[in-house]
Amino acid sequence: MATENQDRFDRVDWDEIAASRGRDLSVNTLGMLAFAVPLALLGLYDWRLVDEREATFGAIGYDIDITSLEYLFVFTLLLFAFYLVLPLYQNPRRTKHYWTEFKRNRPAVVSLVWLAIVFVGGLIGPLLMNAPQQDILISHQPPVYLSVDQANVANCVGEIANGRCHGTWEYPLGTTNGGRDVLTGIVYGMTTTMQIAFIATTIVAVVGISVGTVSAYAGGWVDEVLMRITDVVLSFPTFLMFLLILYIYGAGIGMFILVFSGFAWGGTARYVRSKALSISEEEYIKACRISGANTYGVVRRHVVPNTASSIITQLTLLIPGFLLFEAQLAFLGIGDTEVPTWGQLISAGRSDLAFAPWIVLAPGIVLFLTILAFNFLGDALLDALNPEAQAETDQ
Amino acid sequence: MTEPLLSVRDLKKHYPIKKGLLNRQVGAARAVDGVSFDIAPGETLGLVGESGCGKSTVATSAIRLEEPTAGEVLFNGGDRRGATRNDDGTHPNDVTRFDKGELKAFRRDAQMIFQDPSSSFDPRMTVGATIAELLSIHGMTDRGRRRRIVEDLIERVDLSASDYDRYPHEFSGGQKQRLALARALVLDPDLIIADEPVSALDVSVKAEVLSLIDDLQAEFGLSLLFISHDMSVIREICDRVAVMYLGEIVELGPTEEVFHGPEHPYTEALLSSIPTPDPRATLDEIELTGTVPSPTDPPSGCRFHTRCHRVIQPEDMEMDQAEWRRLLTLRKRIESREVDVEQATENLALDDEPDDLSDEAIKSQLRSEFELEAPLDSATAEATLETALDRLVSGDADGAEEVLSSSFTTPCETTHPEFVDHDADHKSACLLHVDDRPDSRIGVENVPQ
Repeated sequence: MATENQDRFDRVDWDEIAASRGRDLSVNTLGMLAFAVPLALLGLYDWRLVDEREATFGAIGYDIDITSLEYLFVFTLLLFAFYLVLPLYQNPRRTKHYWTEFKRNRPAVVSLVWLAIVFVGGLIGPLLMNAPQQDILISHQPPVYLSVDQANVANCVGEIANGRCHGTWEYPLGTTNGGRDVLTGIVYGMTTTMQIAFIATTIVAVVGISVGTVSAYAGGWVDEVLMRITDVVLSFPTFLMFLLILYIYGAGIGMFILVFSGFAWGGTARYVRSKALSISEEEYIKACRISGANTYGVVRRHVVPNTASSIITQLTLLIPGFLLFEAQLAFLGIGDTEVPTWGQLISAGRSDLAFAPWIVLAPGIVLFLTILAFNFLGDALLDALNPEAQAETDQ
Repeated sequence: MTEPLLSVRDLKKHYPIKKGLLNRQVGAARAVDGVSFDIAPGETLGLVGESGCGKSTVATSAIRLEEPTAGEVLFNGGDRRGATRNDDGTHPNDVTRFDKGELKAFRRDAQMIFQDPSSSFDPRMTVGATIAELLSIHGMTDRGRRRRIVEDLIERVDLSASDYDRYPHEFSGGQKQRLALARALVLDPDLIIADEPVSALDVSVKAEVLSLIDDLQAEFGLSLLFISHDMSVIREICDRVAVMYLGEIVELGPTEEVFHGPEHPYTEALLSSIPTPDPRATLDEIELTGTVPSPTDPPSGCRFHTRCHRVIQPEDMEMDQAEWRRLLTLRKRIESREVDVEQATENLALDDEPDDLSDEAIKSQLRSEFELEAPLDSATAEATLETALDRLVSGDADGAEEVLSSSFTTPCETTHPEFVDHDADHKSACLLHVDDRPDSRIGVENVPQ
């Protein structure tokens, strides 16, 4: 009976409990730490001890190098896994509810499948395929089942019939003028696309949510200053800024992500601030404060989760913008030429558009579908995650 | 006398009104203006009043959800019993002076239930997690124990332990209020402040929740500050009741005494508004005239005098109390320039023969608007009113105001009433009870008929 008595609310010795200094870490935080700490150590080792030209794992005989962008990417993937996917698994009933709501929107389900393909392709594709190599001998090969006038192909890999060079399964989507395989290029582009999507989203979410909640809860001049900074960010000519940086320092894909997401959090911050202000008037926040929770706890456990649905939607709709912008920069020839992106492919094919349209069309269509998918996904998430709509349907 | 659990002394909460570029304070809404009361251990004190009278602000300031402007809130619960004042006059148990650590300990001893069941739980958390969160905030790291305690508690409020994993929208309003009660109880407090906990519920559910509150209070020896605008709920659950009007307590006493012999006209008016199930009961509902004054500019003297049906007449007047009330209302309306002579003229033109738009006709229109049919009981009053109306109709509102305010005066607007003790624990603040008026008890026929 002693244990039973222990578990009644009026049998708790609060003085003892309040005096103890135990920390109660959730599974999510533990998992995050378990992976993030080794990653951080590896990063530190790579940064301080490994020579710049040496591969990260060179010391143990593997010729695998990890770039700083990849560190960031893995870190954001961990964040998503432990704070977005794992909670969905932990709350199966709610997840099921979201899924039934989400399922109603058919295009969104198709979009999700497409994005899953892009995601998985981006993650494991580069491990299975070699990076596309320049090989002038096999330039302008047409995609499989298609043919092109023999005069345009220097060295046809497939069969030649009636003066036309036919595509082969060796290069299913054809090759570029440099002889790079388009399919491999697209798969490698998926990695970059996912890097842009995840890293930019994380930066925008972290900065936007921080600025928004601090602004709402601090009030006074802090609020005033932060919101004016937000105004600046919202009206900032990011493209000109990027060109300037490009001109002075030269800019890779990492700089692109940093600069553009660094000036994209304005809307999120505004939204989070207004939402936090309205939520802080709710009675459950008052009840939580009256229970002795500190402001950080209230924001972390109640305000952010309750703004999450709209933030997630907003971020999903922000990603297409980034992807398009990257493609535009690449098309203009001021993108990062060292990174295989869809934009690079499109720009590589523009001079041969007349006789080799696949070089532009294949990555173009993939880009188009991806952007469309993100938009559909955003719309469907807005409907599925909206708690008001949820309460209405349940009534 | 035993030490009260909660002792509120002269509590004030003023909301500054700021204007302009530099946010200069131009005034203050005096939501709570000097409120004092005690709650004994195990006792239920009802706090009753109209919407906007500051009831909820008393609660949120006393529990320091908002910082009070002035006053003392002494809380002697937990292990704070028997503390004495420090040398500098401050009290170690003064909630308004608690530092962060003391405040957190205080949070375990005083909890609150809110009015709106629909927003009292986070829609994105299971109710069990919401309740268990309180335990974890106060340092209980054992997950399993948290869950067991909360499940036990959910059963105590007549729900099932499996409701732990359900979301707020899956419960009805009454169930949510039970869960809110469970959340308030989970830290084993000594005091619960219930801010209109049943006013959003329908009658049968209301009764269930009230009896649950009653049972739990008896079982765990809780003290309750029960805020409501509903006199019948107060009567059912409270040991003592405090009546608030415009930021001040006007009457405080044991529930039965207050309900049977209200000493303040405002309490009387509130009580008359309770519907009686007896069809033969004579309907003598007291209708309060005028609107609730703004707390930014409360009336002078007794704050209730602008609406009081027992407002005191000057020595030299002898007239029907209702008529006196209407005269004062007319005076107030003229003072605030709310009497529209043109409107009255237009109404007249619409009503009868439009050619008769003489001053006399307008005057009689105004008189009938304020139910002051000529002639008044008192000849002097009649003459004064005539003069004032003449001036008003001729466009001299200032003159009319001057005439009225010089002769139609009441001590209620100049003197702020102090509390007068009636019985051991029953007091009220009304000039009718001040000593130099010997026969001044309400209910005894003290007002001229």
